[in-house]
Amino acid sequence: MSTQTTKSEFMLLFKGTVWDRDLSPEELQQVMMRWGSWLERLTREGKVKAAQPLASRGKTITWKKGVAVDGPFAESKEAIGGYFLLLVSEDEAIEIGKECPALKYGVTVEIRPVVEQCAAAERAGVTYART
Amino acid sequence: MSSEAVTFPYMLLFRGTDWDKGLSPEEIQNQMNRWTVWFDGLTKQGKATLGQPLLNDVRIVSGKNRQKVLDGPFKESKEAIAGYIFLRVADLDEATTIAKQCPGLDNEMIVEIRPINEGIGRGPA
Repeated sequence: MSTQTTKSEFMLLFKGTVWDRDLSPEELQQVMMRWGSWLERLTREGKVKAAQPLASRGKTITWKKGVAVDGPFAESKEAIGGYFLLLVSEDEAIEIGKECPALKYGVTVEIRPVVEQCAAAERAGVTYART
Repeated sequence: MSSEAVTFPYMLLFRGTDWDKGLSPEEIQNQMNRWTVWFDGLTKQGKATLGQPLLNDVRIVSGKNRQKVLDGPFKESKEAIAGYIFLRVADLDEATTIAKQCPGLDNEMIVEIRPINEGIGRGPA
């Protein structure tokens, strides 16, 4: 990734939905309060477009034998627990990712640039018109 | 039940960044058009509030000392997230019905449907 200072959209995906299993209620409360003030500060700084936790009672759709079927969503270290949609520079997005209060409990933060054009379409050199 | 429709927020996560493998440019173009028609239809119905593809230029931050940064792009995979759509719909069943219409399913993408906890944070406007 090249370094750039212009602001664009980045998605921070917080991976891990089982990180709190061994924490005491007090520790968990403390992490959640840190998370809350972290998000409040970033919002005040005008860097947040949206940010929400995702509930664990979801579903997963896959294609099986020519039919779309739904199955349960499983909690894991890889499952996504929430997201921040940020309007920042690339370096800022990474610095913000490093500030995540749950990192030390095993959560990982995936930082992804948001784009207008789909990566697969770009690979194929095709464009698609928006209506 | 009141006549005013009560809706709830859901996030659709599209997994699979290698779905275009083995497809011709025409087939990819065709699929992209289907995605656009699908998303625009949901937007016009007021059911999709936001939706974008994600670049594969991924970075992953982890570790207690906050210094571990893995630099992408990583190999395309079936599990990697390729994009998202925010929905506002009646319930998980409606969100599931919409997810089953995803054109990417034909290319072995996986759609994850996750209810959003509205108690904390801020959703897309």
